[in-house]
Amino acid sequence: MQEQDTKLIAHLLRRAGFGATQDELAAYAAQGYDATVEELLEPTDPRWMGDFMARRFHHEQSGMMGPWGSGDNWLYRMITTSAPLHEKITLLWHGIFATGYPKVIHGKMLSNQIRMFRRYGLGNFKTLLSELARDPAMIVWLDNYDNHKDAINENFGRELLELFSMGVGNYSEDHIKDASRAFTGWTIGNTEYMVLRSERDSDWPYGRISWHFDYQADDHDDGEKEFLGKKGRFDGEDIVDIICEQESTARFIARHLYHFFVADEPPVPAWPYTPPRDPAAIDTLAKAYFDGDYNISYMLRVLFNSDFFKAENIRYEKVKSPAEFVAGVLRLTGEFDRPRREIMDRGRQMLYMGQHLNNPPSVEGWRQGTDWLDTGSLVERINFASEQIGDLNRPGVKAMVDNISAGNGDHLSSSRLVELCLEQMGDISVSDSSREILVSYAEQTDGSPQGVAGVLRLLAATEEFQRA
Amino acid sequence: MPSTTKTALIQYSMTVGFSAMEGRGFYYPSDTAIGKDGRFYVVNRSLETVDRGVRVTMCDIDSEYYGTFGSYGEEDGQFVWASGAATDSQGRVYVTDEYLHRVSVFDSEGKFLWKWGTSGSGTGEMDGPSGITIDGDDNVYVSDTHNNRIQKFASDGEHLHTFGSEHLDLPWGLTVAPSGDVYVADWGNDRIHRFSPSGEPLATYGGSGRGDGQLQRPASVAVDANGYVYVADWGNERVQVFDPDGGFVIKARGEATLSKWAENFLKINGEEADARSRANLEPVIDFDPDDPHEESSHIEKLFWSPMSVKLDFSGKLYVTESNRHRIQVFQTAG
Repeated sequence: MQEQDTKLIAHLLRRAGFGATQDELAAYAAQGYDATVEELLEPTDPRWMGDFMARRFHHEQSGMMGPWGSGDNWLYRMITTSAPLHEKITLLWHGIFATGYPKVIHGKMLSNQIRMFRRYGLGNFKTLLSELARDPAMIVWLDNYDNHKDAINENFGRELLELFSMGVGNYSEDHIKDASRAFTGWTIGNTEYMVLRSERDSDWPYGRISWHFDYQADDHDDGEKEFLGKKGRFDGEDIVDIICEQESTARFIARHLYHFFVADEPPVPAWPYTPPRDPAAIDTLAKAYFDGDYNISYMLRVLFNSDFFKAENIRYEKVKSPAEFVAGVLRLTGEFDRPRREIMDRGRQMLYMGQHLNNPPSVEGWRQGTDWLDTGSLVERINFASEQIGDLNRPGVKAMVDNISAGNGDHLSSSRLVELCLEQMGDISVSDSSREILVSYAEQTDGSPQGVAGVLRLLAATEEFQRA
Repeated sequence: MPSTTKTALIQYSMTVGFSAMEGRGFYYPSDTAIGKDGRFYVVNRSLETVDRGVRVTMCDIDSEYYGTFGSYGEEDGQFVWASGAATDSQGRVYVTDEYLHRVSVFDSEGKFLWKWGTSGSGTGEMDGPSGITIDGDDNVYVSDTHNNRIQKFASDGEHLHTFGSEHLDLPWGLTVAPSGDVYVADWGNDRIHRFSPSGEPLATYGGSGRGDGQLQRPASVAVDANGYVYVADWGNERVQVFDPDGGFVIKARGEATLSKWAENFLKINGEEADARSRANLEPVIDFDPDDPHEESSHIEKLFWSPMSVKLDFSGKLYVTESNRHRIQVFQTAG
C-alpha cells in the first residue's frame, strides 16, 4: 500500500467517519480505497455497543424523557459503531432538518427522528422527505398538527421548500400555501392530549407516551392545488414527488453534501446569492442525484470517488463540528468499552463547544465551518482533547503509547517520535510549523510513557487535529 | 403443588406509583424491597446530578407515603447509580450502587448505618454491584455484575463465598428461593441460572428469544413456595412464569391502571384529565413487531422496562417498571 493511498483513506475516514485508529486504518488500507468506500456505504456487519447495554446502565437512555438521553445515546453510537458513515449522514440530516427539544419536549421522539435519519439517510431522498413529513417530532416542531383543512398553518410547508429541499428563490408564496394544504390532516394521534402534555412538559402520571403519525382524512383539504407547474388534488406524497423532480432540489442537496463532506460553503442563507465554491462539483453531484434516482448513497459514491474529494487542497479544510470532534477523540481513547457514567460529562463537552444535539439554535440548524470556532469554544476543544488524549489510563491512549514504544526503547529521535504519534492518531499530516513545535516539545521528553503521551496531547492541540 | 389454572396464576391487582423527580413518587425506579409491615423501599435511579431525585421512596401498597432517604453524591448514605435493594430480618435496608461499587445499609426509617465495598476484581471487591438478596440467616448475596459472579457476604460486609464466575454474563437480579437455592438473572446469557446454596450450578431456565419460555436480557427473578419462577423478561418487556422444572406457564405484558397518586394528580389537573379522557390510550399502530420496547413506549398500560419482580409473604408479585415509574401488583397462586 502506497503511503499516499493510506493518507487518502485517512482523509476519507475523517470525512465519512470520525477518523480512525492506526489499527482501523491498516485494516481499511488492506482492502484499498474503493472497497473502503463500499464498506462505509454498505457495511457488512454493522455493530455498536447496543441499545440493551446502553439502557441497562443509563435508564434515561431508555425512557428518554428529558433533553440529554437521546444525545448521549447517539454519542455512544458515534463512538462505538463500525458503520461511522451512517452516523455522519445522520448528523448531516439532523443539521438540515433541525428539530429541537425546547418545543418538542420529548426526548424519545427526537431519538426516534434520529433513528429515522439513520435508517433512511443513505437511501432515496424521496423516502426520507416522506418519512420526515410523517415524523411526529417534526409535526410538533413545525406545528403541522395545527395545519387544518379550514385554517392552514404554513410552517411545515414553508420550511419543507426553503430549508429541507429547494432553497429560497425557487418557489412562490402560493406554492407554499398549496403545499401546506396538501399536508393538512397529517398529524399525530391523540393530538389534544399529546400536545397539551408537551406544552406543559408533563411526564405525569407514568412518564412520556410516544407519539405516532395519524392521517385524519376529514381534516385533509382534498381540493385542487397548483404546485410548481402542476395541477391536481395533491396529497403530501404528491408534493414530495414534485419537489424531488426539481433541479433546484438536486442542486440544494448536492451543495449540502459538498458542504458537509468536501469543503465548507458559506452559511445556507447566503446560497441564493453566492455561487458554489466548486460549481463543477455541484453539477456532478446534481447529475448523480438524477442518475441514481434520488439515492443519497449513489451521490456519495460519486462524491467519494471524485477528484474534487480526493484533492490535496481540501484536506484539513473542514472544521470538525463539536459532535465530530468529541466522538473522534473518544474513539481514539477507547474509554467507553462499556457503558460508563462519564458519557454524560463527555456529552456536555459538546455543549461547551457550541453544539447540543437535539437542541439546534434554530430551524436552520448549526452553521458549519469556522463558525464553530471562537476563543471560548477553541479553548474548550483543546482542553478536552488534551485532557483525554494525555490520559494514560485510557486504554486507547495506552495502546497508542505502547505501539510507539514497542521495539523502539528510549532511542527514538524526536522527529521519529512525532512521526509515530501522527500515525497513531490516524495518520495525520501537519504543517511544517506545527511539526516544528511538536519536535521541539518531543526533544524535551524522556521517552517515558508519560513523555510520549505528552506529545500525543500536544498533537491534539494542533490546528490540523481541529479539522478533518 | 396448588391446583390452579394458568390464568389464575398471575392476576393483575393494582398499580402503585407516579412519576416524580423528588419526594412522593418514583423516577426511574430500578428495584423494590419489601420490608417490615409491608413497607416498600423503592430505589430511584433517577437522573444523575438531580440531588434529591436519586433516593429511596418509602410507601406501601395502600399508597401511604413515608418519605425518602438518600440523595445524589458519594458521601455516606448517598448514591450515584443506585441499583438494587433488599431487607434483612431486622428490617434493615441494603442498597447497592453500581457506580460507587458498594452496599449501603439503612435502618427501616432510612437512617444510614454502615457500608462496604471497594472497586476491583479481587475477593470481596466489586465491579458494578447490582442485584441483591438476603437469606433467612441474613447472609447477603450480591450480583457483582462486571466481574460476572455472585458474592456472598455477612450482613456486616465480611466476605463469605464467591460463585458463578464460570457461568454468568453480567448478572443482575437474584433471589434466594424458599428451598435455599439461589436464582440469578443471567442477563447477558438470556437465562435464569439456579445454584445450590453452596454455589453449585443446578439448572438453567429460558434461553435467547422472544417466544414463550424464551428470555431476552432478564433483569430479575422471584421464586414462590411451590417453586414457580417469576422472571422480569426485561428485553421482551414482559413477565414470564416458569414451573419448577423450567416449563413455560404464562406470560404477561402488563395492564396498569391509575394508581391513587395518579388519580390524585388528574383530579387536581382537570385540563389534562379531560384531554386524557378523550384520548385513545391503546391506539392501533403498525409497530415493528420485533420491538416491544417501542410498543411499550406507546401503550401506557404495558410494562416498560420491567426491572424487578418481588414476592411478598401473601403471594403478591410486585413488578417495578423503570420507564413508567410505577409498580404493577399481581396476585399469584403461591
